[in-house]
Amino acid sequence: MSYRKNALTLSAGALALVTVLSACGNNNDDTSSPATSPSSSPSASAASSSASAAPAGLDTSKHVTLQFYMLGDAPKDLDLIQDEINKMAEEELNATVKFNFTTWTDWDQKYKLLLSSGQQVDLLFTADWTQYQAYANSGAFLPLDDLLPTAAPKLQEFVPEDMWEAVKVKGKIYTVPATYKEYVTNGFVYREDLREKYNLPVPKDLATMEAYLEGIKQNEPGMTPLAIDNVTDNLINPLRELTDHSVGAKLPYGIGIKYESPNDVYSYWGSEEQLSDLNLVRSWAEKGLFAKNVLNQKELSGDLITSGKAAAMLGDNPTRYNDNNMKMQSLHPDWKLGYTPYAEILGYATPVHPIHNGFAIPKNSANPERALAFYEKLVTDKRYNLLTQYGIEGKHYTVENGYYTMIGDSSSNGFPREGMQGWAWRNPEYMLFDQGYDGVKAIFDELDKVAKPDLFTGFTEDYTSYQPERAALEQVEKQYFYPLYAGLLSDVQAGIDTAMAKAKQAGLEKIQESYKQQWLAYTAEAGIQ
Amino acid sequence: MIKRNTFLREIVTNRMLFLMLIPTLLFFVINNYLPMVGIYYAFTRFDFSKSLFDSDFVGFENFEFLWRSGILTRLTLNTLGYNAAFILLGNVGAIALAVLVSELKLKWFKKLSQSVMFLPYFISFVILSVIVYNIFNYESGFLNTLLKGWGLNPVDVYSTPWVWVPLIIFFYLWKNLGYSMVIYLAAITGISDEYYEAAKIDGAHIFQRVRYITIPMLKSTFVVLLLFALGSIMKGQFDLFYQLIGNNGMLYNATDILDTYVYRSLKVTFDIGMASAAGVYQSLFGFALVMIVNTIIRKINEDYALF
Repeated sequence: MSYRKNALTLSAGALALVTVLSACGNNNDDTSSPATSPSSSPSASAASSSASAAPAGLDTSKHVTLQFYMLGDAPKDLDLIQDEINKMAEEELNATVKFNFTTWTDWDQKYKLLLSSGQQVDLLFTADWTQYQAYANSGAFLPLDDLLPTAAPKLQEFVPEDMWEAVKVKGKIYTVPATYKEYVTNGFVYREDLREKYNLPVPKDLATMEAYLEGIKQNEPGMTPLAIDNVTDNLINPLRELTDHSVGAKLPYGIGIKYESPNDVYSYWGSEEQLSDLNLVRSWAEKGLFAKNVLNQKELSGDLITSGKAAAMLGDNPTRYNDNNMKMQSLHPDWKLGYTPYAEILGYATPVHPIHNGFAIPKNSANPERALAFYEKLVTDKRYNLLTQYGIEGKHYTVENGYYTMIGDSSSNGFPREGMQGWAWRNPEYMLFDQGYDGVKAIFDELDKVAKPDLFTGFTEDYTSYQPERAALEQVEKQYFYPLYAGLLSDVQAGIDTAMAKAKQAGLEKIQESYKQQWLAYTAEAGIQ
Repeated sequence: MIKRNTFLREIVTNRMLFLMLIPTLLFFVINNYLPMVGIYYAFTRFDFSKSLFDSDFVGFENFEFLWRSGILTRLTLNTLGYNAAFILLGNVGAIALAVLVSELKLKWFKKLSQSVMFLPYFISFVILSVIVYNIFNYESGFLNTLLKGWGLNPVDVYSTPWVWVPLIIFFYLWKNLGYSMVIYLAAITGISDEYYEAAKIDGAHIFQRVRYITIPMLKSTFVVLLLFALGSIMKGQFDLFYQLIGNNGMLYNATDILDTYVYRSLKVTFDIGMASAAGVYQSLFGFALVMIVNTIIRKINEDYALF
């Protein structure tokens, strides 16, 4: 027995040793890579006429390797693209770039780590949904104001002045916004073929939507009428948008602000409005219009629709509606989705805020100037842009009649359209569209007619003064409001009362008051009436 | 017994052994002791533009969110309760299974049952949550379809908190029993056959052999595993709870543990300080528990104590 014990200890020690050694090995690889990379042969880069391509004020005498980080999954042929890009970047900027991807799994954790661990990150994707404003506010990114004129003058000119203005946090620019104008506003998505089959009303507002859902429930007993995977995103927020004209889909802490009266901040939680919204949800739940155990439902609502398990979604954006429709029709040609933008009900639509897609230079960047110069190339240089958006022409795609056509299909193609999730460096002048995208463009054209500015996204919340309350409130919402959102409680008023009591105990009033002050300061400064 | 002033001589005589120990020591210093500096994060306001020790010292402010919602006691009790059940039932079950499997004579059946019990260990909780949803969901779940088929009323499992206490324990055991059984099985294999043969000659039947040889021989393994498990009694099994319960607030009173609470509270908030505070609380609690239990064990039987 003691012999066995010794053997075990020994092997554990050996394991530890191997781990330590391999860790050292990795470190060595990292540090030596710039030196050993094939592109750094000094004679080649020094001899090339790099000065003509790089902005005049940029010092490119030293070779650098840039670390580029994007969310999501890398396309299969990324290495191919990276090599092509590096051939050009080597010559023109004396830089090579490494494209890194986080995958979608735990991207928010990884994002946090990229910014806080101190590792070199030269370019990083930003969006409102990656908490751009909060990170910029806490000093995670470098201000670009002084860098732009020297490192990327072309880019500075390319992005309109009002967009630079719109992404400012505390008066400084921290991200390069995308200039492509699109809409991610909501609309009803419903199975058009079933509507025709059973002669149901077209969902034009909440009442007709409800009638449609009831019709589905009657005629298709095996189907869930309404697809929901997240009660806030798929049910409560769209509902609030329609009934209460909420200024932003994701107003936190039960705050209510209407689009028409942005200076009137009230508590939506505990209000008459909330009561009537939740009563509606409860009545839908009682009629069985959505799954009872929706809080534990894991399948994405888009998948529920395309697989035929559910018939409608309360709110989705035009692009995703179009994607789902095409995906569904490739498997079931006789199925069809219909779409009613909320703009038809509300009378206005807000195009995406410039903050929605961008690239920032984190504090830990080793080469901020070169990173910005490279990003300029990515956006404004057609060769860089097409390569990173669509792949290699003739290998990954062809252009027919001005339309983008993928070679092969999504499983065989190594670089599908926008395979690098290049939303942020889209250049409207070079963009290529799939023929199937015409439907979305038609919707966008309609929305353009009623376009109004997004008032919400430009706001930067500073929550340092109510951090603990904020965390505690998060718990209260999940524990006491979510069952109400899912229509699980028969006595809605009593449910709201309990939830409000708990929320107040967690510090709701302090948070709402502070949020209100910040919001009013923002509207005053931005001149929003 | 080593005398006090012979420490140096000890090093000299066993210098090769000490040399071989260095990599392991380094490993622990680098990976387990150096990062402890990070505990200081729990007492500062994190700032990207400043280094750790330049950041503002805020005392216990970061710990405030733990008790702010007034449920810290419940969370602590839930966490302790579930883990105690996992440790106790897990070990007792694993010992019972290991004894049964070790007494099996058919070799192929022994291998087969071992593998069958081990397999759930490789199934991720994400997949388990989908399976569980398909068993218990109200409209189309396996359970309710069965009940309806028998003419009974469907039950809404996802709105019934108490059911989840046994369910969670069951799924934990289902997943982990096979794994811990293998550890005990290895320990049983290490028991010399001579004991059993002697017992057989003395006329001990199988239950007596298990009772008076196998069980006592497993005691030290049990105690070591127990002490290891106690250290992380305030942590762990986040996946299980998070995947099975998720956003279902109806069940929180019976199922919420510290890890899920911290995750939920800080998912939207970017705050290294508060996350560290929660970690410090969990670690201190586990540390205290290990020290206490180890002291008790040392009082009872010094050989079984970890240190």
